[in-house]
Amino acid sequence: MHKADFNDIDKSMILQVARKMKSNSCPLAAIVGYVDKEGKPVVAYSYDVNGDVKTYKCTGEKKVPSLTNIYGTAAEWFEEEISELMDVEFEGLVNKGRLFLPEEFDGSGQIIVSPLSELTGKK
Amino acid sequence: MGYTIPIGPYHSSLEEPVYAKLYTEGELIKDAEVHIGYNHRGVEKLTTQKNFIQTIALVERVCGICSHSHAFAYCLGIESITGMEVPKRGQYIRVITAELERLHSHFLWLGLAAHLIGFESVFMYAFNAREKVMDALEALSGNRVNYGMNIIGGARRDIDSGQKEKLLSMLDELHDANKTLKNIFVNDKTVAMRTKGVGIISREDAMKLGIVGPHMRASGIEYDVRANDPYSSYEDFDFKVIVHPDGDVFSRVVVRVLENDESIKIIKQALEKLPEGKINLGVKMPRVPEGEFVSRIEAPRGQLVYHIVTDGGPTNYRVSIHVPTFRNAASIPHMLKGSYVADAGLIVACIDPCFSCLDR
Repeated sequence: MHKADFNDIDKSMILQVARKMKSNSCPLAAIVGYVDKEGKPVVAYSYDVNGDVKTYKCTGEKKVPSLTNIYGTAAEWFEEEISELMDVEFEGLVNKGRLFLPEEFDGSGQIIVSPLSELTGKK
Repeated sequence: MGYTIPIGPYHSSLEEPVYAKLYTEGELIKDAEVHIGYNHRGVEKLTTQKNFIQTIALVERVCGICSHSHAFAYCLGIESITGMEVPKRGQYIRVITAELERLHSHFLWLGLAAHLIGFESVFMYAFNAREKVMDALEALSGNRVNYGMNIIGGARRDIDSGQKEKLLSMLDELHDANKTLKNIFVNDKTVAMRTKGVGIISREDAMKLGIVGPHMRASGIEYDVRANDPYSSYEDFDFKVIVHPDGDVFSRVVVRVLENDESIKIIKQALEKLPEGKINLGVKMPRVPEGEFVSRIEAPRGQLVYHIVTDGGPTNYRVSIHVPTFRNAASIPHMLKGSYVADAGLIVACIDPCFSCLDR
């Protein structure tokens, strides 16, 4: 099994790394977003490099370039998911409407929303 | 004249909620959209409220079909962050459970494919074979769905000699059942007429779409996490990565039916070579340090990725789950474009979708 391989990169390197990975035929394993302890957004790009997983993390950027011009649809849903759930915009990602639930869906009648505090018993 | 046909989110042809819009012109689908999120349960957020042991039970419930795969990928991630080395016997037991899960998932899909083609007797035959696997899983774990076979540091339950013998004889029966199914799916003219040339994804398009698992291998790409990035001792077993070049529904059927033989082969090898010794590192868990790991395994539907972040505390800081359907569902509009409305159900089903997995 692969070993952990994480690298920090800045925004300007995202496309350069993606192009290099694509030219070496390394598939995109995942793009994941989260907020770190300091409240900064993190976008982590994981690539499959000859069976190993290499991850590049970009921290503190609310606008990052989209990989859809390089990886096509393989990057699209990952980026749509992050942009819909986090305060991160992907420059160059063509907006095809919401991925999670269609635009016209107002949530009435069909969805039960339970606050997390209720589920965990915390008031 | 063009019509927009909405399917879902709740529709008699769907077992799980999803919303698809088909833009048609006569019988042909000109464009399609897929919207997800109707079965979102907030599992990723909940993992940040649970400790590492509670999380195993939680992630097992992401999916009813590949429950072991979720717990397996999660445990591998935490073990990597903690630096734990799972005993060989425990690794083998995890592999046996994972391959049994792959078998029941593939038999389920083959049955559903037969049902959609209109071949009800084959549906019954495939489900009969699946029942044998479900019985075996129940005998091993005590459960038909959420097996609870993983703990951090190994397997929860051992396999004794009686269970081993029963499993081996069940696998012989299953091999015969799969032989019959293989003969039907590969040689039957009706199956071929209904599936050949339907929902095509070329090798180049498969790369662009980023599809995974049997869906990808049916487009001629030889990639399987078990072979390319072996985990849990998969390198000890001899098996073939099944590939078919045509990229249509027929190829996806062939890949899955042939993968059943490979899974049977892996389980037999694991049972015959099952090492002596401990199955886990005990129930006392070490403190999980601050760390990060991208864990991935080959689930029945394809590559399952867990990105786990820990902060040295008692709960997960972040667990991101990307299931195979997240990758494969994005290819549905591509396959639907230019297809007949009558084929839409079969095309959506051919990725073996799990929308509960997808929505988390």
